[in-house]
Parts: sequence; structure tokens; C-alpha cells
Amino acid sequence: MKRDLHQFQGPPDTRFPNHETANTGSSSKDKMMKVKEEEDGGNMDELLAVLGYKVRSSEMAEVALKLEQLETMMGNVQEDGLSNLATDTVHYNPSELYSWLDNMLTEFNPPPPEINNSFLAGAGGSDYDLKAIPGNAIYARSNQFAIDSSSSSNQAGTTVTTTTTESTRSMVLVDSQENGVRLVHALMACAEAIQNNDLSIAEALVKQIGFLAVSQAGAMRKVATYFAEALARRIYRLSPPQTQIDHSLSDTLQMHFYETCPYLKFAHFTANQAILEAFEGKKRVHVIDFSMNQGLQWPALMQALALREGGPPVFRLTGIGPPAADNSDHLHEVGCKLAQLAEAIHVEFEYRGFVANSLADLDASMLELRPSEIEAVAVNSVFELHKLLGRTGGIEKVLGVVKQIKPVIFTVVEQESNHNGPVFLDRFTESLHYYSTLFDSLEGVPSSQDKVMSEVYLGKQICNLVACEGPDRVERHETLSQWANRFGTSGFAPAHLGSNAFKQASMLLALFNGGEGYSVEENNGCLMLGWHTRPLITTSAWKLLAAH
Amino acid sequence: MSKKRIGMVEKSNNKRQRVNLVPEFSINDHHDVLVEILRRLDGPSLCSAACVCRLWSAVARNDSIWEELCFRQVSPRPSLSIRSVVSALGGYRRLYFLCIRPFLARLPKILWSQDQLQLSLSLYCVHYYERIYVGAAPPSSLMFLRMPVNVV
Repeated sequence: MKRDLHQFQGPPDTRFPNHETANTGSSSKDKMMKVKEEEDGGNMDELLAVLGYKVRSSEMAEVALKLEQLETMMGNVQEDGLSNLATDTVHYNPSELYSWLDNMLTEFNPPPPEINNSFLAGAGGSDYDLKAIPGNAIYARSNQFAIDSSSSSNQAGTTVTTTTTESTRSMVLVDSQENGVRLVHALMACAEAIQNNDLSIAEALVKQIGFLAVSQAGAMRKVATYFAEALARRIYRLSPPQTQIDHSLSDTLQMHFYETCPYLKFAHFTANQAILEAFEGKKRVHVIDFSMNQGLQWPALMQALALREGGPPVFRLTGIGPPAADNSDHLHEVGCKLAQLAEAIHVEFEYRGFVANSLADLDASMLELRPSEIEAVAVNSVFELHKLLGRTGGIEKVLGVVKQIKPVIFTVVEQESNHNGPVFLDRFTESLHYYSTLFDSLEGVPSSQDKVMSEVYLGKQICNLVACEGPDRVERHETLSQWANRFGTSGFAPAHLGSNAFKQASMLLALFNGGEGYSVEENNGCLMLGWHTRPLITTSAWKLLAAH
Repeated sequence: MSKKRIGMVEKSNNKRQRVNLVPEFSINDHHDVLVEILRRLDGPSLCSAACVCRLWSAVARNDSIWEELCFRQVSPRPSLSIRSVVSALGGYRRLYFLCIRPFLARLPKILWSQDQLQLSLSLYCVHYYERIYVGAAPPSSLMFLRMPVNVV
């Protein structure tokens, strides 16, 4: 195998992403090349892509290191080692340099099986449990799988992985797309086993899942890991870390989620637009927020009110939130900061914070509402209403309170998926698809602490969804049609979100990663934000039917 | 310095004559004129101008120059009430660097109008709020505008 040392001359010019100044033509015949990383590896990706290699610029240094390692190893390995490579059926895709190198290196140095956490021991259980599963789903090793469309692992073609078989521990090189399909089948089979109360089978499958998950890359790996952990918790009946109490942590996580991807920003901006339009012409306005958290939604609304025609109204905000773990008055702090902002932009501001364990504990009389001729009220809820579905009568009570408030508009943002069906397996399947899509959309974001925290944020939701039952299970998402039914029977009529909201949402998404992949759709006057064709969150607005 | 200078002029009969030239005009003495000129520049040129010398750097910090840059393509012109809000949130210069310039860089073909301006202002406001909320740590709500787009 020829190797060539190829030097790039001069630092790549970062201002011109399509520069053609580097000389790549001379090494076009070589199969491998060493590249020296200059001050900014951002353009290397394109240059190698011209030659047909897909290497991420962030991984450039590692690729170079691994090439060196591979070179030394191939020099040292014995004759028969190399001939094994030639005769075994393997599927290589050498253009994915990073993973190809990984696999070549692990071939020479098989690592011990990884252990994700104490639940997922990787060494592979006995054959017996797997054979007990009827059909070819888990156990067949032929290549005649139809690729499952839900496996979102391989965006860049097939990659090679190494896995050890159950008892013989011989090296088998398997197409990783097949592993991806296996992984999904294993997850489904495990959920089915849990549904049928076959806990021993489920246990064996969970271990297998852990093992398969490691062989994947990117979004699929993370999703599988979180789901596997949640399944394990369900099997071993270990309650997840107390999510109810640690609200400061979930607030922080939500802040990171806000920063990383457009979902929350979309939610806030579209809801604000609906509220702004409903408040047109009113001199005194009052917003009741069921999802106060850090108050990130309100600066934008206050700014829009400050600059509206005719000057800003008097703005009153009532924030409702859960009690803080350390007994600090978190809601009060948020109010102070918002007041600071309001003073800076010259908007008269009034604030009140309410601490409540659940929205169902609220009563309209507590809110000190003023007569509707004087004050126009809006109610806002972002990802909060679904938590009420666990308690009987919870949602009905809250909707009753909202009707008593008599708002001019009631904005609701919820996840667009049915995770509240009566059958566990259905919930599991739906949520697997939903969170795979969500994690897929996060893959385009450059790695950072924010991104990791966002994934943890989503992971907690997965854990609650899969591992908990009864009142503990709060992540009971439902689709727009289900919510529309519920609101309709309670006496609400849909208020269509205008084209302004749509335009603003589209612009916002275009700013995120070029808008690649995200899509805004209008559905019966509600706006849905989705990733490729799958809608993920929905903003809807409701008003009271005149008769009620 | 506006010293009188004595210059040499060629006359038609090939004799050279000494003439008094007009007093030297230095733009650095007339900051208001400088501001007027800088107002008409585009973003990159303005930044280059701000690097010329300390004086020009100080003059270029005049917010009205950046206001002009932010609103140049917007029609109709936004009302004056925006000015007080933007100054309270940190000024036009910061608005330009944090929001408008990345916006234009991301979406160069977009027609810059009121809607885009409103969106930028909203994002700017959220950023201000995060600054006062988070305090010490730098807020990252606008990082998505500054981060390089990952073309993978």
C-alpha cells in the first residue's frame, strides 16, 4: 500500500469556504495520505471530500494519529494476520476514514468489551435467552435484512464494527447497518418482553442492547444508551433519580437546551407573537405563565410591547413554578431580573410569583385578577400541561381555572407525539421514533457543554417515560389532535396563528445551521416545528367560546 | 495644524512663482464631518476605519454611525422610540456585531426588512436579559449565530 506525505501549503483561508487554492491533484492516486493540520482544519473536510474521503475537521488530528499507529502496526504484524484481512468477508467503506481507522486498529488490538454502567455488562449472555425469541429478529446473521427506516445511525454510509460472538469469542466483522437494525429489534423485543412480564428475557436483551449500542455512532448510540438505561431501571425496578425535586437542575438543563437547538426559541417566539397580536390596542395587559422557569420567554415580548405602535402597555406578569430544592425564592429572583429589563426599556412592570407543586393546586381567586375591561389576560403554557395527565381530574381542573380567568388568548406548546397510550409497547415505540428524530437533529450542532446538557435533558425525559408508572410518570405527551379534542370539549376554540408568526419562525430556523433539516408547518392554524418530515413540537393558541 | 504653506506653481511662461496655498485642511479637526463620512460606509469599511488610529477609533464609537448601518436597508425607517430601547440594551454597535452582522452572514440573500430587524431586536433583548440573569458567565443564547455552521 502506498503512502504519501502530503503537505498543504499555507494556512487555509477561513474567509472563503470554497477556496480552491490548495493543491490536491497530485495525490489523487494514493489510497491513504497523511495530512498536517494547519491553524484551522475547517477546510480540510472539503479538500478530502474532493478525493472521496469523508473526514470531519474536528477529527483531523486523531485521524492523523491513527494513521501513524496503523502504519506501525501493519509493519509489525505477522504474515497470517494480514492474510486474514484478505480472506474474511468484510465490508469496508474506506471513505469514512475515522471509523475505518478505528476498526483497523481494533482488529489488531481488540479492546475488552465496554461496560457502559453497572446495569449493562457487555460480555454477552448465554445463547439460550436469545434463541428463545422466535423468528430471526435478533439471532440471524444473514445479510437479508430490510433496513429499518427508524434506525438513524448511518448518515454517511456503512461503517465497520467489530463484535465478539457469544461463546467462541472469535472476531466477526459485521456490517454496522445490520447492527443498527439488530439494535432496534433488540430494543423492541426487550420492550415486548417487559410488556409480557418476561423479565429474564428482558434482562438478557438489555445486556445485548448495551453491547450493540456501543457499536453504533452518533445519535443512534446516544438514544439507544438512554433507552437501554431506562429499560434496565424498569426491569430492576429502580426508581430514577428524583426528577420531581431537583428543579434547579432541570432549569439549568433547560437553559442549555434553549441555547443548543431552536425548539424552545421557536416555542417562545411563536407564542409571543400570538400574545402580541391578541394584546393589540389594550392598555393594561396581564400574562399568567404556567411555565416560568428562567423567564426566558418574556424579554422578547416586553421588547415587542415597548416598540409597538402607540407605546407600551402596563405589563403585569404572574409566574407559576414548582418549589426550589434549596428553599430559595427562585421565582422572586426571576421577577427582579425581568423588572430590571423592564426599567431599562421603559415598560411599566408588575410581577407576582406563585409556588405550586402542581398546576392543579391553583385557583383563580389566588391570582388577583382585575376586571376584564381594565386588564386583558393571556395564559401561557410551554411543555407543562402534559404533566397533569397523570392525575385524575388534573387537566380538567386546570382548564376550568383557565376558563375562570377568561383570557383573551391561551397559548399552548407541547411535544407532538403520543406517549400516553395505555399499552407500554406502543408508548415505547412512539417515543423511540420521537427521540431518535430529536437526537438526530442535535447531531448537526458542534459539540459543546451545552449540547451534552441538552442530551441529558432529553435523557431524563426518556427515563421518566420508560421507567416510571402511575403518578410518577409525568412525561405524558399527546398529539395536537388529542389536545384539540380536549380543549374543544372544555369550551375552547382554536385561534389561528397568523402569518407573522410563521414568517418569524421560518426566519429563526434559517438562522440555525442554515435551516437545514428543520421545517415549519402550519396545521389548522397551529404551527409545528419538525425535523425533516417529522413534526416535533406544536404551538397552538386557544380562545374561549363565546357561549361559555 | 493649519499652517500656511508656500507652494510652487508652474506658470504658462515657464516661470515658477511662489503662491500662498489655502490652509491645510485636516479631517481630524472636524469630528462632525468625519462622523458624517463614516456614516456612509458599509460594515467592513467602517471596521477598517476604526482601526486607523486612536482618534478614529474613538470617533467610530459614535452610536449614530452604527444606527445608520443597522437601518440602512430598512424601509420604512423605524420610529425613534427604537433608539431609546436599543441604547438601553447596549447600543447599536453591539447590536450590529452580535445580531445583525451574523444574521446577514448567515442569510446573505435575504431582503433586510422590518421583520428581520424585529427578530434581531428580540434576540438582542434575550441576550441582554441573559447577561443580567447569568451575571458572571457569558451568556450563550447568541452562540448559534456565531458558531460556524457544521457542514458535515
